[in-house]
Amino acid sequence: MDPLILSFAVVNGVLLGGIYGGVALGLSLIFGVLRVVNFAHGSFLMLSLYIAFWCWSLLGLDPYLSVFVTVPAMFGLGYFVQSVIISPLIRRERALVVEPLSALLLTAGVFLVLDNLALMAFGPNVRAVQVDYYLPSPMLGPIPLNPQRLIGALAAVLVALGLSWWLRHSHMGRAIRATAQNRDAAALSGINVPFVYAVTFGIGCAVLGLFGSLIAPFMPISPSIGVAFGIKSFIVVVLGGLGSIPGCIVGGMVIGVFEAVASQHITATSAAIGSLGLFILILLVRPQGIMGRA
Amino acid sequence: MNTRTITATPRSAAGLPLGALAAGLGFGCVALVPLLVDDPFLIHSLIMVLFFAYMASSWNFLCGYVGQLSLGHAMFSGVGGYVSVLMFTQLGLSPWIGMLFGGLLAAGLSVLIGYPTFRLKGPYFTLTTIAFAEIVRIWVENTNDFIGVPLKGAEGLVVPAAGDSLWAFQFSSKTPYFYIILAMLALVMLATRLMERSKLGYCLKAVRGDRDAAEALGINPTPSTLAALAISAFMTALGGSFYAQFFRYINPERNMGLELSIDMAVMTIIGGQGTVAGPLLGALILTPISEMARSHLGGGLPGLHLVVYGLVLMACVLYFPKGAIAPLGRLAKRLTDRRGSRP
Amino acid sequence: MTTTILDVQGISKRFGGVQAVKDLSFSVGKGEILGLLGPNGAGKTTAFNMIAGYLRPDTGKVLFEGKDIAGKRPWDVCKAGIARTFQLSKPFGDLNVIENLMVGGFCRTGDRARIRERAEWMADFLGMGRQREAEANNLTAFDRRKLELGRALCTEPRLLLMDEVVAGATPSEAGEMVELVRRIRDMGISVLIVEHVMKVIMSLSDRVVVLDYGELIADGEPQRVVAEPRVLKAYFGERYVQSRA
Ligand SMILES: Nc1ncnc2c1ncn2[C@@H]1O[C@H](COP(=O)(O)OP(=O)(O)OP(=O)(O)O)[C@@H](O)[C@H]1O
Ligand SMILES: [Mg+2]
Repeated sequence: MDPLILSFAVVNGVLLGGIYGGVALGLSLIFGVLRVVNFAHGSFLMLSLYIAFWCWSLLGLDPYLSVFVTVPAMFGLGYFVQSVIISPLIRRERALVVEPLSALLLTAGVFLVLDNLALMAFGPNVRAVQVDYYLPSPMLGPIPLNPQRLIGALAAVLVALGLSWWLRHSHMGRAIRATAQNRDAAALSGINVPFVYAVTFGIGCAVLGLFGSLIAPFMPISPSIGVAFGIKSFIVVVLGGLGSIPGCIVGGMVIGVFEAVASQHITATSAAIGSLGLFILILLVRPQGIMGRA
Repeated sequence: MNTRTITATPRSAAGLPLGALAAGLGFGCVALVPLLVDDPFLIHSLIMVLFFAYMASSWNFLCGYVGQLSLGHAMFSGVGGYVSVLMFTQLGLSPWIGMLFGGLLAAGLSVLIGYPTFRLKGPYFTLTTIAFAEIVRIWVENTNDFIGVPLKGAEGLVVPAAGDSLWAFQFSSKTPYFYIILAMLALVMLATRLMERSKLGYCLKAVRGDRDAAEALGINPTPSTLAALAISAFMTALGGSFYAQFFRYINPERNMGLELSIDMAVMTIIGGQGTVAGPLLGALILTPISEMARSHLGGGLPGLHLVVYGLVLMACVLYFPKGAIAPLGRLAKRLTDRRGSRP
Repeated sequence: MTTTILDVQGISKRFGGVQAVKDLSFSVGKGEILGLLGPNGAGKTTAFNMIAGYLRPDTGKVLFEGKDIAGKRPWDVCKAGIARTFQLSKPFGDLNVIENLMVGGFCRTGDRARIRERAEWMADFLGMGRQREAEANNLTAFDRRKLELGRALCTEPRLLLMDEVVAGATPSEAGEMVELVRRIRDMGISVLIVEHVMKVIMSLSDRVVVLDYGELIADGEPQRVVAEPRVLKAYFGERYVQSRA
């Protein structure tokens, strides 16, 4: 195979994979702290895409500027979902007896409601944002880089770094990490656990809001896009190790490169089946993922 | 006070357990419906309720008792439907026989998948079952022809009309379908009841409660769970064949998609997991909602019934974690206790 | 001269950098109550788990009635005739008392009526006859321990391993448990018991073995062993022994 085409595929895969990783960050963070597998993850991304779209189409707001709408809106929604819907469940559970399945079912309920409300409100048609300016493509050697994907991938790396730094050094970040390790001990040391949970959930969703705006310029938008991205995020997070933030970006890039290179050789169907197969294999053979701790 | 009367199963005058009597009466009454009313729409709706009750019961046979959430069961339904339809169109075999082959294939497949997968816990198990089912669905959706067998991809398979024929599992009236699915439901509920009281049932419930403790009591979890899985997959596949014969059409989306798995799981959970009647109750609650949303409001609002599902599911997880059957069960217990303590 | 029922020969277990159990040998006689003592982290639970099949020993043999069971899986160990309780009790929360007990019975027979009868008898034996219909989730911590004990007995063992059965119990509950264990022994079941409460160990055990840092440091009659300097040192530290000397 032509090395230029291959390197083009790899570079593109890294960029797209970075975005996958960025999208999956919230899923990983929420699982790491709350031990809740957020089934509605993709639905939140779908909502942010729609917010970005309507901001553009109704208000004429540039998708990149719509982050100022999507990020706070998604933070609020996440905060609300955690404190109103999931929190009663966590309160009901006695210490240490976590029932991850009930939480999964609750978020599955959220997924059903959000996705189908979107279907009812917006219909099944695909929409797209069209911007009327042109971003120049920077060159990496002989390879042109898609500017919008580059922005998305860079943002993913920056958000991952920022989030790790913030978790390590801020007061709130320390509270979040303490709660993740032992919620009862954290509560005994005066940490407001329900608040920490709600903020974590909010941050996880806010990250999705950001990526909704960043990928809106090149992503066709429909109610079912949430499921597609949700499944991809699960694959990414399991590959990188549930709960690991750097693992998320690495996992995303692995999947992105795998898809981009595979699509040169095999059909999209086989690639989709391949990544699901990889997902199963990782869960069975190395459930902690490539970057997670045992 | 004599504690024995409370612990022993409440019995009717004829000596039959009250539960069996109630079940027999209930099924008997339902069986009379087609004789009393002649409304195809009502019969159709009843068939849908019974069908979903059957599917949910098959799901419950494994998942309700072993405490794992599979969202991949639609795969078995798909295998059942495709095998019976293809054996009919390609080999001219009666669907009654084809559905047994489909069931056996699904059971074999389930054991192959279940053996490595059951080590996974909670959400990991659930995600893996979704992935397996999605692989099968995507593969069928994109395969028109597999070693000479025309799968017809996303387009789906049509069952060619063969007139009113028991052999071809095709009837011009809906009533025979009604009795078939009613009998299937009765069988699966009976099987569940027998399993629940057998060694297998106790093993599954013990594994659900605590795997380590179950092992300490001489239970090897693997054969028990695999046996239940194989039976559950077999029954789900039979349901898939029924669906194919009833609508005379199947496609990967409807017959093996994630939505069907969610239907089976959500109905069971809302009705009451790990109980004989829970899945039936769940189907009674949810199927009318979804049929209504589809037929009356559904024209302009596809997806409404799933919104309702989502809301009911959330309410159930939060307020009735044991399903709608739990408050009913308490009521029944209070009634029988009062009878039992009467001198 | 009693015959031995369990003969542990030089078992060891290492977790990464921690040598949890090191070349441990001891034996349990038929009809004996043997106490296994040792400070926190000494390796008692690890030794238990190796005997019961939850951990495979790195070295050594576990002879039960003459047959080596080391490395067998838990359900095979149970079928061989060894039952156990857990340090953190693990009842089947959504089953009631009778159902919990019946699970144990299915280990030996498939005859449901007989199992149920035995479970009813066991509930009375445990003094839980009035709670037979109660869900295990709604029992007190001590009742759950008793239930776990009864469940283990329903598998009709010849050797019973008990891990810290009176932890957190009130003195009267502890007394009740001591009485139960005696009656279990009188049924002909040998008992290996891990316990921190000295009063319980002293009044129950025919003999005790003491572990410290995974190694056996004493083996003998309870009164004599607890006076040994090595044992005192393990429990209270060097200074305590010196100050008494
Ligand atoms: N699964 C494991 N992985 C790593 N280390 C372990 C594991 N299980 C036990 N250990 C270590 O082995 C040592 C012995 O532990 P064990 O639980 O056997 O002690 P114990 O005597 O039962 O203590 P306690 O009285 O507190 O119950 C401890 O240092 C413990 O930290
Ligand atoms: Mg211990």
